[in-house]
Amino acid sequence: MNLSHFAALTIFALIVSTVFALITKNEPKEQFRYGVFVFLSFLAVAFAVGWFMYPLPL
Amino acid sequence: MEQTNEHLESTVSTEPAELRRINMPATLAICFAGWLIPGLSHILIGRWIRGLIFAACVVVMFVLGLGMHGKLYDLNVEEPLQLLGFIANLGAGLPYFIAERMGLGVGAQTAQGYDYGTTYLWVCGLLNFLIVLDAFDIAQGRKP
Repeated sequence: MNLSHFAALTIFALIVSTVFALITKNEPKEQFRYGVFVFLSFLAVAFAVGWFMYPLPL
Repeated sequence: MEQTNEHLESTVSTEPAELRRINMPATLAICFAGWLIPGLSHILIGRWIRGLIFAACVVVMFVLGLGMHGKLYDLNVEEPLQLLGFIANLGAGLPYFIAERMGLGVGAQTAQGYDYGTTYLWVCGLLNFLIVLDAFDIAQGRKP
């Protein structure tokens, strides 16, 4: 199975944010909000770190 | 009429419902079942939907990890750092033992998804530990 980096990252973020949201919040509305926040945070941090590392000679 | 109102007030309480508490041996048994089969602890407590979502998350992550040629770690005392990987993998419960038995999770370092796959396998085990702890809290009445 060959997933692109972005696909692997997105699936990872989706699953982890779902579990985090269900564990930490009790109300469905809160769970949804927190889940979306964590998911988007994962993606945003990944993009930020990716662009930060772009100019580095790795 | 007053009697009816008094009756209603006594049956409809404005205080939050008391959290149901399960005794410790049963709680530990539920947690063990939840570790072995991801999501089962919540199902046994009566949180069907939550349990099924947890089960799907852990199993999907585990299967994807194997599909991406991730590595499952064995108990290797000679390499202490690998012990951490082993503990993380062990969190997945029965899927880990089945995969080990079937000879899966050898880990192809040349595969494109090796790093991601190994991370998926670690994280699904760690998530299952968190899920079991959540079930423990619910069973002990610490959480609604």
